[in-house]
Amino acid sequence: MSLSELFWAGQEVYITEIFLPIIIGVLVFVPLLVLLFGFGFLRRYRSWTAGKAEDRSGHWFTRLATTLAVAVGNFRILSWSELYPGIMKTLIFWGSALLILGKIVRLFSYVVGLTVPPQSVFLYASLASEIGGVLIIIGGLMAVFRRYILKPARLDTKSEDTLVFIWVAIIILTGFMTKGYRIATSDVGSPTDWAMWSPVGYLFSHIFPTFMTEAKNEILVWHRALIHTIPAFALLAYMWVNRSRLQHIIWAPLNVFFRSLKPKGALTPIALESAETFGVSKIEDFTWKQLLDLDACVRCGRCQDACPAYFSGKALNPKKVIQDLKTHLNEVYPIPLSRKPIESRKDMVTEVITEEVIWDCTTCRACQQACPLYIEHVDKIIDMRRHLAMERAQLPETAQGALKSLGTRFHPFRGTTLARTDWTQGLEIKLLSEDSNIDMLYWVGCTAALDDRNVKVAKATARILQAAGINFGILGDEENCCGDPARRMGDEYLFQTICQSNIEILNSYNVKKIVTSCPHCFNGLKHEYPQFGGNFEVIHHSQLIAELLRNGKLALGRLDGKRVAYHDSCYLGRYNDIYREPREVLKAIGGIKKVELARSGARSFCCGGGGGHIWMEEDPAKRVNIRRVEQVIEAKVDLVATACPYCLTMFEDGLKAKEVEESIKARDISELVAELLSPSPQEVTD
Amino acid sequence: MEVILRGIAIAIEVILLAVIAYSFLSGAWLTVFDLGVSARYKKILTVVFIIVGCLVVVFFIAHLTFLYPAV
Repeated sequence: MSLSELFWAGQEVYITEIFLPIIIGVLVFVPLLVLLFGFGFLRRYRSWTAGKAEDRSGHWFTRLATTLAVAVGNFRILSWSELYPGIMKTLIFWGSALLILGKIVRLFSYVVGLTVPPQSVFLYASLASEIGGVLIIIGGLMAVFRRYILKPARLDTKSEDTLVFIWVAIIILTGFMTKGYRIATSDVGSPTDWAMWSPVGYLFSHIFPTFMTEAKNEILVWHRALIHTIPAFALLAYMWVNRSRLQHIIWAPLNVFFRSLKPKGALTPIALESAETFGVSKIEDFTWKQLLDLDACVRCGRCQDACPAYFSGKALNPKKVIQDLKTHLNEVYPIPLSRKPIESRKDMVTEVITEEVIWDCTTCRACQQACPLYIEHVDKIIDMRRHLAMERAQLPETAQGALKSLGTRFHPFRGTTLARTDWTQGLEIKLLSEDSNIDMLYWVGCTAALDDRNVKVAKATARILQAAGINFGILGDEENCCGDPARRMGDEYLFQTICQSNIEILNSYNVKKIVTSCPHCFNGLKHEYPQFGGNFEVIHHSQLIAELLRNGKLALGRLDGKRVAYHDSCYLGRYNDIYREPREVLKAIGGIKKVELARSGARSFCCGGGGGHIWMEEDPAKRVNIRRVEQVIEAKVDLVATACPYCLTMFEDGLKAKEVEESIKARDISELVAELLSPSPQEVTD
Repeated sequence: MEVILRGIAIAIEVILLAVIAYSFLSGAWLTVFDLGVSARYKKILTVVFIIVGCLVVVFFIAHLTFLYPAV
């Protein structure tokens, strides 16, 4: 027998006298742990199923693939913008996976005859466990340093967080100690392969004094095995008896599995005729998936960092919304088989989550984009808005005014003196009521038709369509608001009324293809109108212009020496993943120096106009658009281009407030294109 | 020298066991409230758990001092 085999064979006495009892112990503990897991799972399952039904079935392969990508591949967890916490989490995850895999192989290795003589898999399992332990230590130290030394604002520390660090550290440490002591007391010479297959254990083995008698050594090996095994099992028991954050190991992948696969911008409609209540006023009004979201949240705080409202000093903090709802859920369902009656609960939509928080949201989805676990923050806030708007009529006064105008005049611009077709004067634009023989409908949108600044966008877009020879028309006075402001401000009834009326009008003209310059109209027409039978091919004007440029139907001049940044609008970018086309349009303009803002693309910072905020009064010290303009100023650009009328309005307002409107211009990309096409740019750019 | 070594070994063991006891008792403390015990019992339960923890550590010190094998 070789020295190596002799060494491993000498372990048999320890295996039969010490580890066999441990294996038996495991076989007793494991069923107990299964029972505790059942208890913990049922406790949560009960609270989720208290919520309403929701269909999240289908697309099983896509769901499984995403779950594996996130849970195993740490997709969305590890990213360039979250490098340190991402690496930290990846080390802890893979460390744990290797450790557990190695343990399971070694635990059953004797039973299946892998140890005498030692098979390769046993040795590799030993090494895997050691590497796993080291990775956990490195990841754990990174986590401790971050939480207790760096102390980022988005992390709040509770007593359980510290407990878990200590508990896991002691398990890893005692694991290495057990191995080390076993090596130290090995009675077979000085084999060389311990260092290779158990390097950390081998290092630990040099620390311990050993004894002359085998009996004493055996006692201490036993002792160390117990102080390793019992805390490990106790931790597993704790995480299922307690509603511990460690349960995210199961809830997080489950939440990812059941993530929403519907279009990002499509809110769930209310079945108005059959609904007994509108929106959400108590925790059970949420769906089971919305309640599962609350348990999946691990308080990483990425949503908090991403939220423009929070950044601007407003009351809204998306992480706190989820955690407050979770605390409320746990208070309503405190112990198994009990439920707090409604009369003795806090009012969820004014006390648990205040009205100020509910109305602060611009529905930009930055929180959802940042969340690695696909938690849906915006839907919950909109559901609470629906209750406030439709059942309590508790909305900010200016929002009420906009909705009232929407209901009576079919647009939210109360003070406008313009009519929907005023902007068409001198442009020879076809009205569908006069001639419906068109290839494409230009859906102008309320802002472009009725807002003084944005009518230039409508004119520019029309000029581009004419220059490209597209046979298009507009609805003119027959065009009503798309309904997005109503839906985002919680008035689902008004939205559905407007939506169904618009679908009728569009179908009466047999409209198939629509182009619009407003991302909110684009999102509504494309993703929300199909909920009510309105199926149209909808494109945004940035997509159309990019296509026309690619096909050579448009040619642009130069804009030499200008530093231009493109601001990604939320409803175009995050909602519809349209990032490339507006940039293609800018790239086609010769001479400009293209600058990317610090927060661009999927991480773009909201202009502050969405979610009805373009009509709401705001605290001047906490305006989101001012924060965005400050970022534009920092980028030292001459021009900020956008593709959304809300963004354009908010930028104009913000640039004036910061008194930089002479040095930094805000333009829609259609205005830039039309200016460089048209021989008479003055009427477009003034 | 052997006495010093034994003392150090016992101290390390006591620290390890004390940390384990802290983990178990903290976990139990959190679990008790998570299972529905009213928050008004927080102070009294904290005192009880601290006393139990101290007793456990004293036991470990006595147990190891008496029974830890001589080096």
